[in-house]
Amino acid sequence: MNDQVRELLLYQVGARTFVSPVADVLRIGNLDDVALGDLVEGTSLGPTFGRERGLAVATGEGAESVLVVDQVLGVRRVPESDIHPLPAFAAAVLPSSAVSGLVLLDDTPTLLVDLPTLLRERLAAGPARTPPPAATA
Amino acid sequence: MSPVRPSSEPLPTGAGRSGADAWFFCLRILGGRYAFEAPLVTEVVRLGPLTRLPAAPSFLPGVFTHRGEVLPVLDIGQLVGQGAVGIRASTRAAVVHCGPWKVAVVSDGMEGLVLISRRLVEPPPAESTGLAEFLSGVARDRQGTIAVLDLPRLVEAARSRAVPHGSDGR
Repeated sequence: MNDQVRELLLYQVGARTFVSPVADVLRIGNLDDVALGDLVEGTSLGPTFGRERGLAVATGEGAESVLVVDQVLGVRRVPESDIHPLPAFAAAVLPSSAVSGLVLLDDTPTLLVDLPTLLRERLAAGPARTPPPAATA
Repeated sequence: MSPVRPSSEPLPTGAGRSGADAWFFCLRILGGRYAFEAPLVTEVVRLGPLTRLPAAPSFLPGVFTHRGEVLPVLDIGQLVGQGAVGIRASTRAAVVHCGPWKVAVVSDGMEGLVLISRRLVEPPPAESTGLAEFLSGVARDRQGTIAVLDLPRLVEAARSRAVPHGSDGR
């Protein structure tokens, strides 16, 4: 058995848990020191409950953005055999290519998210990257 | 997880086992009886817990794992705008292969295999709305009318209607 292991970051957006490769995340932190214009919300992962934590992600050509999430749950080492590609039909009909597969975590299928793609798609969709400041209170 | 097996219903009158007969897989969707070519179906499974996909079209209510494989669920009712098939713990789905696509078609109930004489399959009605758009014919047996679906065309329509993100969808 020569099953490679991948390190995946678990985090919550709203009520749902997602995973992404640790290598795609530059930093994890609070949002206090992040410029409002660098925050990204309203992605296809759904709305957040609050604005608790941020995942800094490189979005290409030296740029980076911070995905707002509700909780960072930790890192899991997952054997490649527990990572499944998105079924071809699902990949063909989804409007986003940010979901790259599913990971079986404790027998529960959890969506594997390509963070750079997710953020690039959201940024390409236009403004309204963050809600009005009043929503942060 | 049951393999596809013939229905216990008697064969339709006049439908002998000649070369003109064909097996169809019959299921119930939103009160109607529908069938498609039986060789497309590999098995009937009970749905496990569904995992919803972000921003998925309504006809793709989610995916589930079956014997270590992730399968997408296709709700034909939603695809043709006739309402959603109710998905609950007892819901079963027919796993079908349509060209490059493998999907689990949910239904309100499975009848299984029926033998239909191709001679008795009539052309579909001229109307082209809803599921009628995807009918290849209409047949009858002792239980009533069966609408025969062109499933590959239906699945391909689902793919093309979803406006994939700049790829050919494969």
